[in-house]
Amino acid sequence: MNAAWTQDPNLLAAALSALTPFAAFALIMVFVRPYPRLSAGISIAAIGVSLMSAVFLLARNWSLTEPLQITVRWLVSGDIRIPFGFLLDPLSLLMLTIVATISFLVQVYSLGYMAGDPGFSRYYAFQSLFAWAMLTLTISPTMIQLYIFWELVGLASYLLIGFWYEKFSASEAGKKAFVMTRLGDIAFFLGLLVVLIHFGNLNILDMNGPQAAARLSPALLTVAALLIFGGVMGKSAQFPLLTWLPDAMEGPTPVSALLHSATMVAAGVFMFARIFPFFSHSASAMTVFLSIGTITMLLSSTMAMVTRDIKQVWAYSTISQLGFMVMGLAAGGYAAGVFHLTTHAGFKALLFLCSGVFIHQYETNDMFVIGRQGGRGLRIPMLCMTLAAAALSGLPPFSGFFSKEAIMGVLAGRHNPIWLAAGLLGAFLTAYYSFRLIFIILRPNPAEKAHAKAHGGHGNGHHAAGLYWVMAGPLIILGAVTLALGFFQGPLEAFLAGTHAVSESHGAGHHAGLLYAAVGLALAGTGLAWLEFGRKGAAQMGFVERLPALRALFANRWYLDHLYRRLLDYVIYGTFSNLFTRNDRRVIDGAIDGMCRATIGSGRLLSFVQSGMLQYNLMVMFAALALVALGFYFLG
Amino acid sequence: MNSLTTYLFIAAALFIIGIFGLLQRRSLIGMLIAIELMLNAASLNFMAFNRFLAPDPIIGQVYTLFIMGFAAAETAIALSIIIALFRRIHSINIEQARDLRG
Amino acid sequence: MTPIQNFFDPELLAQTAFTVVVAFTFAGALIAVLPRNILYNVLGLILCLTGVAGIFLFLGSAFIALMELLIYVGAICISIVFAIMLSRPLHLSLPKRHLPKVGGALGVALLVFGVLVTIISRTPWQPAAERSNDWSVTTMGVYLLTRYDLVFEVMSVVLLVAILGAILITGQSRKRSS
Repeated sequence: MNAAWTQDPNLLAAALSALTPFAAFALIMVFVRPYPRLSAGISIAAIGVSLMSAVFLLARNWSLTEPLQITVRWLVSGDIRIPFGFLLDPLSLLMLTIVATISFLVQVYSLGYMAGDPGFSRYYAFQSLFAWAMLTLTISPTMIQLYIFWELVGLASYLLIGFWYEKFSASEAGKKAFVMTRLGDIAFFLGLLVVLIHFGNLNILDMNGPQAAARLSPALLTVAALLIFGGVMGKSAQFPLLTWLPDAMEGPTPVSALLHSATMVAAGVFMFARIFPFFSHSASAMTVFLSIGTITMLLSSTMAMVTRDIKQVWAYSTISQLGFMVMGLAAGGYAAGVFHLTTHAGFKALLFLCSGVFIHQYETNDMFVIGRQGGRGLRIPMLCMTLAAAALSGLPPFSGFFSKEAIMGVLAGRHNPIWLAAGLLGAFLTAYYSFRLIFIILRPNPAEKAHAKAHGGHGNGHHAAGLYWVMAGPLIILGAVTLALGFFQGPLEAFLAGTHAVSESHGAGHHAGLLYAAVGLALAGTGLAWLEFGRKGAAQMGFVERLPALRALFANRWYLDHLYRRLLDYVIYGTFSNLFTRNDRRVIDGAIDGMCRATIGSGRLLSFVQSGMLQYNLMVMFAALALVALGFYFLG
Repeated sequence: MNSLTTYLFIAAALFIIGIFGLLQRRSLIGMLIAIELMLNAASLNFMAFNRFLAPDPIIGQVYTLFIMGFAAAETAIALSIIIALFRRIHSINIEQARDLRG
Repeated sequence: MTPIQNFFDPELLAQTAFTVVVAFTFAGALIAVLPRNILYNVLGLILCLTGVAGIFLFLGSAFIALMELLIYVGAICISIVFAIMLSRPLHLSLPKRHLPKVGGALGVALLVFGVLVTIISRTPWQPAAERSNDWSVTTMGVYLLTRYDLVFEVMSVVLLVAILGAILITGQSRKRSS
C-alpha cells in the first residue's frame, strides 16, 4: 500500500473511525490497565475521534450518488476473491454515525455510572473493543468481513454482559447470550456458504446487484435468505432466540444502553437492510421474516406488561421494537425500517440511561421500590424518560411517532390486513407497558410503603455533583435528539435512497385514517396505564395481572426458557453429550487402555519364552539351524 | 547297502533320535547319552562319504578317530560338569537349573 | 561245495546281515532315548554303538569298527555307567513327562529330519575322479604320523586338557560345596 491512501480523505476518515478504538483497546489492555482514569481518557478520546470522523464522512458524502468502496486484496482462492476494506454508502455512513454517537455518549455516561468500580479500566477496554468491532462491521464491504466483526461484537457483548463475573447470574447470562447468538450464526454462516458456492463471491454490492437473481435459482435464493436470517434471529433476538436479551440485563446499564438496545442488537436489522435487495428477490422468505417479526413483537410486548424490573421492561421493549423493524423491512419498507432503527437507537438508549441513573441512585432494579423511594425526585432522568417513553409509544411530535407511522404505512400496503392489525395492537401494548412504568415511578402506591421499608433498596441519596452532570449530560443530548429527529425524516429518506434504486413498496402514502388510528391506540394504551397505575388511589395492578395463569405465562417468557432447558437436558445432554462421553470413555479411552493391556499381556506371554530352560532354547536353535540350512541350500 | 544315500539316511535318523533325546530328557546324563548318539551319527556320515566319495579312504577314518577322541574328552568334561552342577542344585534334573529365568 | 554256497547266497546274506545290524542300531538308539530308567538308556546306547560298529564294518573299515567298540563302548559308556552308579539318580523319583516338551522336541526333530532328507536326496553326489583303494592299517599309521601328525598331537593335547579340566572342575566344586 503506497502512501497515497493517506491522501484520500474518505479512506483516512473511515480508517480512523474504525481503527482508533482498536488502538485504544490494545493500549489499555496491554499497558494502561493500572490507571483507570487514563484508560477512560484514552477510550473516550478514541471514540471521540471516531465520532468526528464519522460525522465528517457523513457530511462530506451527504449527496453521494455512487457507493464508495475501498478494498485491498485479502483472500484469493481460484475464482473466489474476498477483499478487505470499507464500503461507504448512505446506509453504512448513517449507521456509523449512530454507533459512534451513542458509543461516545455512553462512554461519557459510564464515567459517572462505573466510578469506583474495580474493573474500570477493563470496562473501557471492552467498550473500545466493541466500538471497533461495531464500527468496522457497519462499513464492511463483504459479508465475510461483516461476519467476522459480527462475531467480534458478540465477543464484546459476552465480555460486557459478564463484566461482573463474580456474580454467577452474570456469567451465566453472558454464556447464554453467546451460545444463543452463536446458534443463529451457524445458520448465517451456512447461508453465506450457499451464496459463496453458487454465486462466487460475497461482496455486498454484488449481492445486491442484478446478477444475484440471475445466477442463483429462486429456491437457492430462498434457502440462502432463510439461513442468513438465522443470524438476524440470533443477534436481534427474534423469536425463538429471544430469551438471551432479558438475561443480558445483568451487565452494567450503560452496556445495556449501548449494546442491547441501540447498536449491537440493531446489527441484525442493519444486516437485513444491508442486503435488502438480495432478500427481496425471495417473496416467500420475506413473508417468513414478516411473520417472525410479528410474533416477536407481540410476544415480547406481553412479557413487558408484567415485569417489575426496570431494565427488563426496556429489554422486552427492545425485542419488540426490533421485531417491528423486521416487520417493516420484510414488508418492503427499506427507508421506514432504517429510519425506525435510527430513532429507536436514540430513545431506547435514552430510556436505558435514565433507568441507569435510578438504579445507580437507589441500587435496585425494582420499579416499585424506586417509585416508593422517591424516584420522581430526580427530575432530569424522569423528564427524559417520560419523553422517551412517549417517543417509544409513537406519540407526536417525538421521533418515534414519525418512524412508527412510516412502518405502519408500509404494513398497510400489504394485501393481508393481519400485519397492520398486529402492528396496531403492538402500538397499543407498547404504550401501555411504557407508561405503566412511568406511572409506577411517578405515583407510588402509599399502601406499599411499608413493603418498601421491609425490603427495598437502600439508596444513598447523595451524588457528587460532577458525576451527576456527567451522567445527566448525555441524557439531555439524547432527549434533544428524540425531540428533533422526527422532523428530519424527509432529508434522511432522500439520503438513503441516494445511491441505488431500492425497490421500496410505496404501498400506501400517508393515510390520514391510519395516522389517527395509530395515535388513538397509543393514547388509549397510555390512558389504560394511567387508569390502572397513574391516577390517585389506583390499585397498581395491571389487567393482565388479575389473571394469574396469564400473568405466569408472560412472566415466564411464554415458557420458552423452560422449553430450552428441556431441550438442552434431553436432547443435548441426554443424547449427544451422553453419546460423546460414552465414546470418549469406552472407545477412545478403551482403545488406549486396550492397547496398554495388550502390550502388558503380550509381554507376559512373551516372558514365557525366557523360561531359563535350556532345552527350549535348544529347540529353537535346532529349528533355526534347519531352516537356515534349507534356506542356504535352496537360495545359495 | 551299496548306495551312499542309504547310509546318509541312517545317519540322519540316528541324528534326529539324538536331537529328540537331547531336547526331551530331564536328566543330565540322559542328555549326555543323546549327545553321544549325535556324535556317532556324524561319524557315520563321514565314513559313508569316505567309502563312496573320497579320493583317499584314509582321511575319513582319521576324521572318525578324531571324533571319537573328542567324544571321550567331552564325556569326561561333561561328567565333571554334571557333578559340579549336582553339588549346586542337588539334582540332575535340568529343569531345576533355572537361574536364567526371565 | 556249491550247494552250501548256493544256499547261502552271499549277496542275500550280506543284505540280511546289514538289515539286522541297522535294526540293532535303531533299537539301541530308541532304547537310549525313550525309557526313563537311566540304566536302560545306557544299555541301549551300548547296543546302538555296537550296531554302529557293525555299520562301520559294512563301510569297509574294520579298524574303525574295532576302535568304536574299544573307545565308545569300552571307555565312554563304561564311564557313564560308573557315573550313574556313583551318583544317586537311581533312588530319585522318575519325573513325569511334559507333553508340550515332548511334542516340541518331536516337532523339531522331525523338522530337522525333513530338512536333512531333502538335502540328501536332492544333492547330486559326485564321487571324486581318482579313487585309491588302499584300506590298510599300515597306511593309516603312516599317515597319522606323517601327514596328519598335527591331528595326532592336537588330540593328545585335547585329552590332556580335558583331564586337567575335569579334575579342576570337580575339585573346585567340591571346595565350594563343602
